[in-house]
Amino acid sequence: MNTNNTKTTTVVYDDDSVRKFMIASIFWGLVGMGAGVLIATQLNYWQMNGKFLEWITFGWLKSEGVEFLTFGRLRPLHTNAAIFAFVGNMMFAGIYYSTQRLCRVRMASDLLTKINLWGWQFIIVCAAITLPAGYTRGKEYAELIWPINILVAVIWLVFAANFFWTLAKRNEKSLYVGLWFYIATIVTITMLYVVNHLSIPTSFTHSYPIFGGVQDALVQWWYGHNAVAFFLTTPMLGIMYYFVPKAANRPVYSYRLSIIHFWSLVFIYIWAGPHHLLNTALPEWLQSLGMIFSLMLWAPSWAGMLNGLLTLRGAWDKLLTDPIIKFFAAAVTFYGMATFEGPLLSIKAVNALSHYTDWTVGHVHAGTLGWNGFLAAGMFYWLAPRLWNTKLYSTTLANAHFWLGMVGILLYVASMWVSGITQGLMLNATTEGGTVLQYPNFLDTLQAIRPVMLFRAIGGGLYLIGFFMLAYNIWKTARSGQAVNGTVEVATQTESDTDKRFSTFLSAPVIYSGLIIFSVCLSIFSNGALFIFGMFLTIVFIIVAIAHFEVSKASWNDWFEELLSHSFGFSVLTIIAAAIGGAIQIIPTVTVQRADNIEGRIQVPYTPLELAGRDIYVSEGCYNCHSQMIRTLVPDVMRYGNSGQGGGYSHLGESIYDFPYQWGSKRTGPDLAREGSHRSDDWHYWHMLNPRDISPGSNMPNYPWLFEKPIKVSQLPNKIHAMRMLGVPYPIDLSEEEIQAQVDEQAAGIVERLAEKGAFTEPDREIVALIAYLQKLGTYTETGDSAE
Amino acid sequence: MSTDDHKDSHLVKQEDLPEGVILRDHVVDGIQEYDQRLPFWWLCILFGVIAFSIVYWLVLDDRSFNGSAHQELEAQLQAVAAKRLANSIDVTNDDLFFEMAGTAQFVSAGENTYMTNCVACHGKELQGGIGFNLVDEEWVHGSKPSEIYNTIAHGVPEKGMQAWESQLGQKRIAEVVAFVLSKNPGLKP
Repeated sequence: MNTNNTKTTTVVYDDDSVRKFMIASIFWGLVGMGAGVLIATQLNYWQMNGKFLEWITFGWLKSEGVEFLTFGRLRPLHTNAAIFAFVGNMMFAGIYYSTQRLCRVRMASDLLTKINLWGWQFIIVCAAITLPAGYTRGKEYAELIWPINILVAVIWLVFAANFFWTLAKRNEKSLYVGLWFYIATIVTITMLYVVNHLSIPTSFTHSYPIFGGVQDALVQWWYGHNAVAFFLTTPMLGIMYYFVPKAANRPVYSYRLSIIHFWSLVFIYIWAGPHHLLNTALPEWLQSLGMIFSLMLWAPSWAGMLNGLLTLRGAWDKLLTDPIIKFFAAAVTFYGMATFEGPLLSIKAVNALSHYTDWTVGHVHAGTLGWNGFLAAGMFYWLAPRLWNTKLYSTTLANAHFWLGMVGILLYVASMWVSGITQGLMLNATTEGGTVLQYPNFLDTLQAIRPVMLFRAIGGGLYLIGFFMLAYNIWKTARSGQAVNGTVEVATQTESDTDKRFSTFLSAPVIYSGLIIFSVCLSIFSNGALFIFGMFLTIVFIIVAIAHFEVSKASWNDWFEELLSHSFGFSVLTIIAAAIGGAIQIIPTVTVQRADNIEGRIQVPYTPLELAGRDIYVSEGCYNCHSQMIRTLVPDVMRYGNSGQGGGYSHLGESIYDFPYQWGSKRTGPDLAREGSHRSDDWHYWHMLNPRDISPGSNMPNYPWLFEKPIKVSQLPNKIHAMRMLGVPYPIDLSEEEIQAQVDEQAAGIVERLAEKGAFTEPDREIVALIAYLQKLGTYTETGDSAE
Repeated sequence: MSTDDHKDSHLVKQEDLPEGVILRDHVVDGIQEYDQRLPFWWLCILFGVIAFSIVYWLVLDDRSFNGSAHQELEAQLQAVAAKRLANSIDVTNDDLFFEMAGTAQFVSAGENTYMTNCVACHGKELQGGIGFNLVDEEWVHGSKPSEIYNTIAHGVPEKGMQAWESQLGQKRIAEVVAFVLSKNPGLKP
């Protein structure tokens, strides 16, 4: 490489930004995990939703509950902080550090780096203010309101520009496997984020997503699942491929495994989103695709684990002494465990038990705390001495952190297994020959898991203490050294990335992949002769491809080597591979005529007051604990199906006007799909004031502020206008006065009924709107022409 | 190559490796890569799961064999309903309820059900609250045991009394009726 030109220049890496990202990650990590421990205790002690302030201030602060501290509002803060603030900053630190070295060039633009760094922190601060204040879009991991969404997109594109510009300027011809994963992260997250955040604003702080009901559910979990895949997994794998061989001083185990690992992961992951919606109203072909692609993810994921663990082979002696190797080995092992558990939970029959329970919660924490958190810790311990040119302050403390964290996460995951399986079994248990539920009272199942849930809080607490030890250790390390920036001598001659840009697309492997995917799609979407023909084509193309590969292995290999020197071609192929699955699942679902997708039932649109109530429900984060989806399972129908208006499982049309959809992902409390007209208005009144008065043993927070705050009626005209644009049949000429009149009339009725029972409130209070909404849940009309 | 702070002393040389282990000659920032064969057991998982998925998609999941999940659910619910009907009791027979109210076993079973499901609205002493008082003389929806049964089973939605039949089942509701009868001296045959 250096043969043509012996003149060299010194490249100084921008390690200053790496240091800042790392410090930011540790700081937000403590905040995010702290929030996690707090909300974990809330599930056991409802007083942690604000009443505890009364105790710690010895009665100075009177409070039955603080709206900014409820589980419903803090859980989004916890997840966003853990994912985007902790792992996000850690990812930037790892990518900025390793990309510069893998390209042997400084980041292309210091300005873009600075914008990325400070812009991201600004976003996090905005999130930390708006989420507890109740400003939310009501979609998991996509809660931030639309102005912040735009900011995120801009900063992300700044990062992308900086990264690809750096690739273009690189002094290393070939792209190392770590960079492949960074490319996949950047292009795929851009796609996912934009599609799932398409919204119609109704005010500066509120918007409705453009998809509703089943469409929103599908898009949401396409995004949600792949946020896990491309934000919490692919960048981590890239980081693993750089830092694990560095720390172990060993070659990466297998290059060809890397190739298969990368392409299969990028292609398959995208399809797996519907496994979050198994046994729901989601069309069955999508459920089946979600399940089988999740199963097929097992081997590709384990390829990453193998490449990580087998790279450590030969360095096992260090496992005893070196905390960094300990953290990396544990992280990769947790990755293997979580990616085995994932496919297991995606099996429809297993999911019938596990879904909506703590098992899922345990699963994601094995991923975030076990895999991401330990990888982050290993990386920070490895980086700190190098970034400050010193030795790690205390290896003993780092080892102690490892063991404390390990005990913490094991306690966490194990208690969630016990809790999830126990509650799942109890909820599904029947008696008297399977004719009635054994535990008809949901609270009985909650009481059963309370002790185990306490262990989760303890496990999480231990993990948090471990992370404080890391923060102290890194701080002392930084204090003992001096910030240095890495340098490297490179030849001044630069590589060209421009020639043969497009020839990469016309190669044999790409053409075969395209043909095979096309013929598979043909058989997925058609019946009869065309189906057989698609199958036939698939088999033919696979055989031809294999035969061709056997004959010309070497040229295929050369092609890939060639591709690795063309970052543009590589990125385009990555986008295509990642886009196919989503396109095949989402496009048919969002383009289908709404009338074809309602299964004979159609939701009755919300009145203005009910719509206001629904926005309060979303804003309070009720969906974090309550689902609105009666699955196609006998115990679900028995428990929830016949209350209120009645009628079995939730049909698609019953949530067709729900923007965003509220099917939920966890049942800390019971399902509310048919809550309407199931109980009296005053039941809800007293229940929101203090749930334990009505449901002894409940862990739901008190909502006293709903009885104080006025309904924001002035926003309703804008909201109704947006709803009408989205296809909800509100009368076109509904004036502001008419909206006000409708609100007043319905509110007066509710207030009157409440007063008859001795429950007094004003008609303009949020509680009135919320009761109106809750009493509407599950209201639909039969359309006569059933889909089946 | 690189003059970064790492030493190149850790680099592995191809000639030191056992037969069959391929080391790529490319070194990036001091990182080398082997090109080991894919583990056989791993390939088994990969292709095994793909094969299973194809079979699942084409055969196991094919709805022309099994019917849709909705049809399957309907069939299961039908079976449950049939069993429930076969075991049903005559809930219009008032005497039956009074007989139950005189049987300690039924009353205590009814008390258990009452204390978990009904107590919140009707009170520990059945004195009422959100729901009506159950130990006084006033029975808005009928005071005959069969009428009380009916009120519990099907609810009075406009008054906020929910329908309990699907959740509790006939037997448990009958037990609750027996418990109420035993507590309210005004309710006599």
